[in-house]
Amino acid sequence: MDKPPALRAEGLARHYEVSRGFLRGHASVKALNGVSFELAAGRTLAVVGESGCGKSTLARQLTLIEPPTAGALFLDGADAARADAATLKRLRQRVQMVFQNPYASLNPRKTIAAALAEPLVINTALAKAERGARVAQMLQRVGLRPEHAARYPHMFSGGQRQRVAVARAMMLQPAVVVADEPTSALDVSIQAQILNLFMDLQEATGTAYVFISHNLAVVEHVAHDVMVMYFGSAVEQGPKARVLGAPLHPYTRALLSAVPALRAPDRRTHVPLQGEMPSPLAPPGGCAFHTRCPLVQARCREQAPALRELDGRRVACHVVAG
Amino acid sequence: MTALLEVRNLRVDFGGFTAVDGVDFDVAEGELLGIVGESGSGKSVSMLAVMGLIDAPGVVTADAVRFAGHDLLAMSPAQRRRHIGKDIAMVFQDALNSLNPSHTVGDQVREVLRVHLGLRGAALETRVLELFELVEIPAARQRLRSFPHQMSGGMNQRVMIAMAIACQPRLLIADEPTTALDVTIQAQVMDLLSRLQREQGLSLVLITHDLAVVAEMASIVRHSVAVMYAGQVVETGSVDSLFDSPRHPYTAALLDALPEHNRGARRLAALPGIVPGRHDRPRGCLLAPRCPRVQVRCVGERPALLDGVRCFFPVTHG
Amino acid sequence: MSTLTPLAERLPADTAPPSPWREFVAAFAANRGATIAFFVFVAVVLGALFAPWLAPHDPLQQFRDHMLTPPLWQAGGLAQFPLGTDELGRCLLSRLLHGARVSLLIGFSAVTLALLPGVVLGLVAAFGKGWLSAAIMRLMDVLLALPGLLLAIGVISILGPGLVNTVIAIAVGALPGYVRLTRGAALAELAKDYVTASRVAGAGRLRLMFDTVLPNCLGPLIINATLGFSSAILETAALGFLGLGVQPPLPEWGSMLSAARDYIERAPWVVTMPGLSILGTVLAINLMGDGLRDALDPKLRQAS
Repeated sequence: MDKPPALRAEGLARHYEVSRGFLRGHASVKALNGVSFELAAGRTLAVVGESGCGKSTLARQLTLIEPPTAGALFLDGADAARADAATLKRLRQRVQMVFQNPYASLNPRKTIAAALAEPLVINTALAKAERGARVAQMLQRVGLRPEHAARYPHMFSGGQRQRVAVARAMMLQPAVVVADEPTSALDVSIQAQILNLFMDLQEATGTAYVFISHNLAVVEHVAHDVMVMYFGSAVEQGPKARVLGAPLHPYTRALLSAVPALRAPDRRTHVPLQGEMPSPLAPPGGCAFHTRCPLVQARCREQAPALRELDGRRVACHVVAG
Repeated sequence: MTALLEVRNLRVDFGGFTAVDGVDFDVAEGELLGIVGESGSGKSVSMLAVMGLIDAPGVVTADAVRFAGHDLLAMSPAQRRRHIGKDIAMVFQDALNSLNPSHTVGDQVREVLRVHLGLRGAALETRVLELFELVEIPAARQRLRSFPHQMSGGMNQRVMIAMAIACQPRLLIADEPTTALDVTIQAQVMDLLSRLQREQGLSLVLITHDLAVVAEMASIVRHSVAVMYAGQVVETGSVDSLFDSPRHPYTAALLDALPEHNRGARRLAALPGIVPGRHDRPRGCLLAPRCPRVQVRCVGERPALLDGVRCFFPVTHG
Repeated sequence: MSTLTPLAERLPADTAPPSPWREFVAAFAANRGATIAFFVFVAVVLGALFAPWLAPHDPLQQFRDHMLTPPLWQAGGLAQFPLGTDELGRCLLSRLLHGARVSLLIGFSAVTLALLPGVVLGLVAAFGKGWLSAAIMRLMDVLLALPGLLLAIGVISILGPGLVNTVIAIAVGALPGYVRLTRGAALAELAKDYVTASRVAGAGRLRLMFDTVLPNCLGPLIINATLGFSSAILETAALGFLGLGVQPPLPEWGSMLSAARDYIERAPWVVTMPGLSILGTVLAINLMGDGLRDALDPKLRQAS
């Protein structure tokens, strides 16, 4: 494989200093704790996890909104973590984002045309006519009509707004699009339309996706590779068939068993997970999952497991891949 | 046997826009009624109407809304309040928005017990603690003093459930109770609701857009499911009949659009178009503009609900 | 099989939906009080604009033979002086019309002088780093610590009375309000996804401030500016009444009130006319502001 990956992350970490109150100093919150992956062009990496697992922080790192505290992010031949302002400006055009809430991700005071033209205005020297032509073209690509361009976001439904959001992300023809729960706020039938749009665009343009979702059925449909996150780290990652088809990590298994299934044969007995994710201000020692793990052993409380290759994917678990 | 909750021809109008258009429901004792639909289907509005929670400019009319034989619509607001909250309780989607942020969760549960059961003092405290333990809130005694913003979404939802079952209602209406929650927490809350239903003999109305959630809950209890679209019930039946052999094109399309149903396919079978809004209600069948099976008759006439399906050309199986 | 093809994607209301401007005008017009107030205000503005042509006389000209003439409809009134004359024989109607010019001019200038730097400072405070934001807000807190009128009097005592200094004094008092409002509104918008979307598209700080966020903060700003206009007029009148604002012989409603204090019993119209002018104008602007708020808010809510 000679082509370099569209995106490569190595040990990405992001810590925040949080004040504990007046005169009580600061605590360090490890929102993201060393995530690594490779993403090739035209492929989709699904990031799966629940609230607090760090996927939103990861999204902010990948779209270059925040610099990582540690680690490297290779994009278009440069390390974004160590890039200067000019390089960052260039790199930013290569990664774009689609947000979860279609009702909040479009500027209410801008027409669709203005919102779609903005990335072109900022990053290119195209003339107004040329920009207008590209906007019209992109609108048709995502299934809307060019006359919709002069209207404001509040005149559109959630699904239509999400199409506009996808159009905006594709305006600069990025190498990578980070989609943060793009269909979670949509109805089932609209979700299907938008997912089809994503798949069609990927086939036509070869864009790579980082697809963040908590909906495992959607992940099963769109992903090539899956990364399961818990408490800031990846606990299992690899090809979809392995991670979702034959999960090894106890958290992945619990997650899959918790998904309600339509048909009786698909139903798995719930592996009940007691309690909830620990607070990031009081991280448990050792493996972050040990407080809820059905397979917990003494070693788990003392030492955090590293990701190890096992059976075609990587798992971080002492018991399973010790 | 008369049903616990009987709704006949319920209609809710908002100044010319019909959000709920002639809907019938029946819920028997100890039964689960699943109401499935997408946004704009009227599923939440119909239950809010039953609870008497629709304010002007909404207008609620019905041939009957009977709970345990009493006509809820004929009652004065004061009389209705004696039933609502005590015999009929409701749990909403976003617990953080539904709880009062300025009161501790313990106080909010206490209020329900005080107002409806008149409990005081030691009896009150015992019951509150009992409820918190019933809904599986860990460290219940300390949690009584927490505020909603100090607790997670799952915990807040349990508090809402505790408030709802405090007076041992006969009917619990849950409006998208787990939509805002993570998958593992969702499973915990659904297990809790199932357990409570079995132990307390509750009738449960579960409103959701997630077909799988209904399927899992319905698998272990007597139930029926109603599918709603644009203010009308389009199909009713049991979970198995509905999901294995759907008769209404909308139910079929909804199932077809699920990623679970399209394993291996690159594209999902998506229903084109969107739910009709205020300005573009079709004269004929409400699904006609989007229906893959539409015929000329569908565009001119509205089908009635016959034998559990509202369609001139229902899908046939086998 | 189907004989008709399903309709393609349609917009919620596919016949061209009303533009935001038209929606706003419709909402405003539905409020009768606000619409009446609007026309009253327009009348005042037109009266002020065309004062040199509408006024029957020169406002500074004294008619020694007709001092304290009552208005037209009272015994002893003259058609020559429709609203009567003051203690120096000056035509009251002319003075009121020219006084409107002064009041409106000061009101408008003071609001603009406070609004423009206020918005910029507010945005800088919302977007800026810790120390800059804190410095700006603490400075505003100092200004807010003094009651509006006292602050204006303080500024006048430093700068001296007069038209320009009145504008400055009032603007200084109004500044912190706009800074706080803008900062609060901007902070609320900063948390929203569309701002992040612009950042991801590569927007720099300046673009984010003025092109992305500011248009979404305009609602409360416009409403406050309108209400600020009326309080500026009131403050001008108060300063004029105290002899600290606009200086005679320039006609100004407040100083006209003050000069006529001694004649309340003998010639009440010299007091009532300027008083009613102040009352009417301020009331009209306030009702208009309320109407604006009602018309803008639901649209803002609908848009979110």
